[in-house]
Amino acid sequence: MEAHLLLEVKPEMIGSVSDFTYKWCVNMGLDRQSAARMALCMDEVLTNITLYAFKDENGYAEVWYQYSPSEIEIIVQEKGEPFDPEKYTYDPDRAIRENDFKGASLEAIRQMADQFLFLNRGKDGKEYRLIKKFHFPHIMEVLPAGYDVDSENQRDKSESEEDFLITPVTVDDAEDIAKLIYRSYSYSYPKEDLYFPRRIETAIRNKYKYGTIVRTVSGRPVGYFAVVKSTDSMIGEVTEAVVSPAYRNRGLMKKMMLNLIEMSRQEGLAGLFGMAITNHLFSQKVNAKYGFKSTALIISKSGRRRFKAMEKSFLDMISVVLDFLPLTDHWHKPPVIPEAYTDLLSGIYAQFDEPELSASPNAPYSSRNEKTDMSLSINYESRSALIVVKTYGAGFVESFNRMLKSTEDIKLTSIYIDLPMDDPYINKAITRVKEMGFILSGLMPFFHQEKDFLRMQKLYREINFDDIETFSDCAGQLKNIIRNEYAELQEIGQEA
Amino acid sequence: MNTLNYKKSGRKLEITLTGDFNLNAVKRISDLLDDRKELVIDLQQSRFVNSRAIIFLHRLMNSEPPVKVQISNPPKIFFELLQVLDLHKNWKLDEIVQP
Repeated sequence: MEAHLLLEVKPEMIGSVSDFTYKWCVNMGLDRQSAARMALCMDEVLTNITLYAFKDENGYAEVWYQYSPSEIEIIVQEKGEPFDPEKYTYDPDRAIRENDFKGASLEAIRQMADQFLFLNRGKDGKEYRLIKKFHFPHIMEVLPAGYDVDSENQRDKSESEEDFLITPVTVDDAEDIAKLIYRSYSYSYPKEDLYFPRRIETAIRNKYKYGTIVRTVSGRPVGYFAVVKSTDSMIGEVTEAVVSPAYRNRGLMKKMMLNLIEMSRQEGLAGLFGMAITNHLFSQKVNAKYGFKSTALIISKSGRRRFKAMEKSFLDMISVVLDFLPLTDHWHKPPVIPEAYTDLLSGIYAQFDEPELSASPNAPYSSRNEKTDMSLSINYESRSALIVVKTYGAGFVESFNRMLKSTEDIKLTSIYIDLPMDDPYINKAITRVKEMGFILSGLMPFFHQEKDFLRMQKLYREINFDDIETFSDCAGQLKNIIRNEYAELQEIGQEA
Repeated sequence: MNTLNYKKSGRKLEITLTGDFNLNAVKRISDLLDDRKELVIDLQQSRFVNSRAIIFLHRLMNSEPPVKVQISNPPKIFFELLQVLDLHKNWKLDEIVQP
């Protein structure tokens, strides 16, 4: 469960926010000591803001509490006086010798959080990001002594059963899911969370995901498939799929997928999406089989990972095709189709022909007299970031530049920007982000507040398009356009 | 905001914090302490002691003349933060922390 607070910056509110932080962290699954450390970090940040950012003036700070199965992140934003943390280095000798404790608070924050990031966004304010990881035991630490994967898999084969029970997953299934992943993939499954039963348990408890588990009549788990819900829109990602090797080719994946689609309709989701990796066609073909259509090609979504039993065992880039399945009849084309990609986007929307998408009932809308509103989320594991523009407003270019600059110290591998398609300003915005080295990624249907967005991407390392395999016509078309834009960008870089 | 209970007796101020040892608690204790030379704080109900509270205590103990500080029931994070600030070697914890 995510939370968002708007605070009047006053010394009296610090204790209340520390209390909330502590309780929220405990409810999300942190142990009490770790929760107290996060509450201390929050106290230190807010104390600094109170004493130095606003001093005797009135001011506001906003706090976002974000959860994922591997970590929690707390983001504090304020627009008080400028501040440069580099100038506040704590020196214990100086503290004792000269009674000068400059930097003590920042040192406390750095050491008590697992990761602390300060982003200076100039006129758009400052951001303090506090991250605490869950330290739950790995499945290998949970398994009983003498547990042997080979003999377990052998047992699957020898006791192979024909009848199965498919039920929604509960927190009690967490350890069985982790065992199933370990039995089926050893250490090669790309989503690390699934090797930690408590992470699975808290994710199910926090309603971060829901899924389905297949058991034999004797209760042995042989299949699992889950949907991770978006926190920003009523859509979910089909992900985390596994079937025990001895039970493959029996239609279990199909049964689970149909089950998940039905569960998602009951949850009231507007759509499902799958991120099919492009190092092979299997996942893209599976998605196509169930009616998913390709809408975007997201390059370098994750860092280096190792896959077992694949031709390329070491991959330095994982790109994905975004496949989307609408679950609602209330989906319209957006008010503005960007001029630069009219044909492509028309083709993408034309894939969803049952029923055919109608034009937006809303007229294009200009936000030029409004305040620019955009947010940044960072994936620390893959070192990628996403900027979501909610409102272009009057200061889009300046705010975009400042946000991009604030990420320079993070050493990102890729950065994405999602542009809303309800304002004709998108045409100028595309030109501007292209000037800053971005290229197309594609359409992100229903991705934020149930609206369609155009995604652009900036890649900080060389891309070999021969490694990217696409299945559908639309995905192929996306790849061609993105490859051309990438080549143009390289040429401009060489000329410069 | 009631963040503490206290008892004044001559040169001594005894505090029982009902919340965390933070900026507000430092301000209240500082006001209550006046020129007393002995401070006893019970941290039974505190989840943490922040850096300002540690600096406050450090300065009291190193003032001229010094204030005698005694702490009971400190949370684990108090010791962690002392270590982070590298003050654990400087503070006479055997005398400060009451068993």
